[in-house]
Amino acid sequence: MEYILDVQNIHTFIGQYHILQGVDVRVPKGSITALLGRNGAGKTTTLKSIIGLTPPREGKVIYEGKEVQDMRSFDIASKGIGFVPEHRAIFRDLTVEENLKIAERVKGDYLRKKEFIFDLFPDLKRLMALSGTALSGGQQQMLAIARALVADNHLLLIDEPSEGLAPVIIEHMMKAIRLLSKDSTIVLVEQNFLVASQLAEYYVIIEEGRSVQAGSMKDLANDKAAIHRYLGAA
Amino acid sequence: MSSYFRKNYVLLITLSVIAALFVAAAQGMEKKDFVITLLRGLSVGSLTFLVASGFSLIFGLLDVLNLAHGTLFMIGAYIGWTVFVRPDTFVDLLTPLALILSGFALGDVYPLLATRIRLGLSVKRILPWALVLVSILIFGFILPRYPISIWDVENYGQSPVTYSFMADQGTRLLAPVAAFTEISAPLALIGLLLASIIGAFGLSLFNSVTQQQFKLNWKNYAGFAILLLVALLTFIFNESLTASLTGLSSNWLFVIAVLVATLSGAGLGALIESTLIRPLYIRPIYQLMLTLGMSAIGIEIVRAIWGRPEFVMPKPVFFNGSGGVCPATNFADWWANNCSTILLLDGRVRVYNEIFIPIVGLVVLISIWMLLQRTRLGMVIRAGVQDREMVEALGINVRRVFTMVFALGVGLAALGGILAAPSMGLSNAMGESLFLNALIALAIGGLTNYPGAALGSVLVGLIQQFIIKYGQIGIAIPFTDIIFKPTPPLVPASTVLLMVIILLILPNGLLGKKE
Ligand SMILES: Nc1ncnc2c1ncn2[C@@H]1O[C@H](COP(=O)(O)OP(=O)(O)O)[C@@H](O)[C@H]1O
Ligand SMILES: [Mg+2]
Repeated sequence: MEYILDVQNIHTFIGQYHILQGVDVRVPKGSITALLGRNGAGKTTTLKSIIGLTPPREGKVIYEGKEVQDMRSFDIASKGIGFVPEHRAIFRDLTVEENLKIAERVKGDYLRKKEFIFDLFPDLKRLMALSGTALSGGQQQMLAIARALVADNHLLLIDEPSEGLAPVIIEHMMKAIRLLSKDSTIVLVEQNFLVASQLAEYYVIIEEGRSVQAGSMKDLANDKAAIHRYLGAA
Repeated sequence: MSSYFRKNYVLLITLSVIAALFVAAAQGMEKKDFVITLLRGLSVGSLTFLVASGFSLIFGLLDVLNLAHGTLFMIGAYIGWTVFVRPDTFVDLLTPLALILSGFALGDVYPLLATRIRLGLSVKRILPWALVLVSILIFGFILPRYPISIWDVENYGQSPVTYSFMADQGTRLLAPVAAFTEISAPLALIGLLLASIIGAFGLSLFNSVTQQQFKLNWKNYAGFAILLLVALLTFIFNESLTASLTGLSSNWLFVIAVLVATLSGAGLGALIESTLIRPLYIRPIYQLMLTLGMSAIGIEIVRAIWGRPEFVMPKPVFFNGSGGVCPATNFADWWANNCSTILLLDGRVRVYNEIFIPIVGLVVLISIWMLLQRTRLGMVIRAGVQDREMVEALGINVRRVFTMVFALGVGLAALGGILAAPSMGLSNAMGESLFLNALIALAIGGLTNYPGAALGSVLVGLIQQFIIKYGQIGIAIPFTDIIFKPTPPLVPASTVLLMVIILLILPNGLLGKKE
């Protein structure tokens, strides 16, 4: 199998805390891979370590065949990784349109991708002139994903897209993510196991800063013991 | 409308109270005094704004409280003064400066160079230190022997005070041309170039973070080539360049002085951020102490180079006329005679101090506003003020933006310094009071809010000037015979009082966002 991303035994420190103590994540090209685990297990930190916001002190992050763990965040991102962070991080002082434009990596990215983004999230179209603050939670999530689509990204890191959203909107979000996975590879952090199991083909479970189990989602769905043990869900 | 009022009532009320205060102030004094005081307030406000806006941009994006900002304002004034009063010194400095910087312009080349040389681990560890040491030794040998026609602080006849006095009288005294005697010219030039390259390469080796590998093209050498060219041309044409600068009218010389001061400020800012501030982003307290230290060292350096005394800088002739019709009563008269003062509502207004400076302040206000709102850089700055990590994760080199913003902020302060020089005069302490003003203005307006910086600065300037004016004419307390004259110490106290009141009502300042 061809892996677009291969995280090998990374150790990440935040301050003096040893947060990640050996995480391996292999992401097959074109797949949706879910990072699962309890609150505080280290899923967000894993995503941030991949994109260099909390650079790992040990281990390797191999993206499209190249080691990127020693590079600066913007260099890593420029290689084609889109990041949709946990709390959306919409820029408040920017309009919705500027929130998209700022993600341009090559001049004209925004104009090229505009139609595609509006097809995916028609709601955004009428919000363009508003400031980032004026959006509802669901709209902010759409904007955060849309922002990761402006540049030519091959890999999307999406952190808890369903968090705090109403079921109808979660439906909509899932549809969008499924559509996106046709063109790009997606690493998805998702607390809601139902959502994760419907979207992802592969999974990695993280527990107390270590990756403890990985495989195909179909197998996990039948592994009630693992689900109970690591995710606390029935 | 009513919802707007509900959202902003505190701001509206505060503003109307302040407006009422000013109307009351206007009632208590003659019209001409009011106009002059108002204009003076705007002038001080503009200078305050130049310091405050840069400080606030830097703090907003970088989280750096740059306590050296007032000192950099002062340094801007001294650099501008030098260009204006001693063009020969300025020209002499261009060659060595261009050479010293040239090595740093090759910054993109060094990482590649570093990967090419294979050395043992222990050699690798010593190499950066060794290179920097060698570079310092070469600089230490050449720079003291490099001939620059400068003033002699100890010798009254050739001190900055004398030069500024003579310039004020309209004569520009130049020292005899310095010549290469202690060191041969080719040795000096090549030595500086080598030392710069060695030093810059050494410094780059300290930075262990792997850079993205890219192909080098001509652009990576362009800056280096330009600096070399500048060094060579200014060396060859040193005397004719000096002669043509000295021959310029003081107006053009002033324009050049303003440009040089602003750009030097920006360059200094970029240098400070990329060398001193950058390693300390993870230790904010050290950073704070560093800027405080820089402030003190900056003052000492200025004292060492320009001497302790305070001196004046003449206004360019465009603002310095005093013919028969002066003070001018209309625009045509003023234009024809370049009167230094005009009569406005019977008040004698100094054109440079009270009209030109506020206009420059307004132009800067609008330009930076456009930069922030209309350009991609501005968009990145606004976004970065809120969430640097997210901006970086979008693939934007935030560090480079940091350097640019620091350069911009210091450039603005230096611009303020050179603008203030002809009106305030130069002194080591000239930055301190303005820096204090700026801090108060930002507390009033909102620490990282750009329009807030402008509003706060203008308020601080106005209040100070009105209090000063009342110190002269006194306030008649209603229903009594008492005339209250605010004493000079009340000037800073009044702005601090305003700050305290506003912060009690609005903890984030007038326009600051609630966090
Ligand atoms: N800035 C920080 N300082 C100290 N500890 C942190 C910080 N950020 C995260 N952590 C700790 O790291 C662990 C992993 O956090 P995180 O990656 O956010 O978990 P998850 O996304 O799986 O909920 C948690 O125990 C959390 O408390
Ligand atoms: Mg998380």
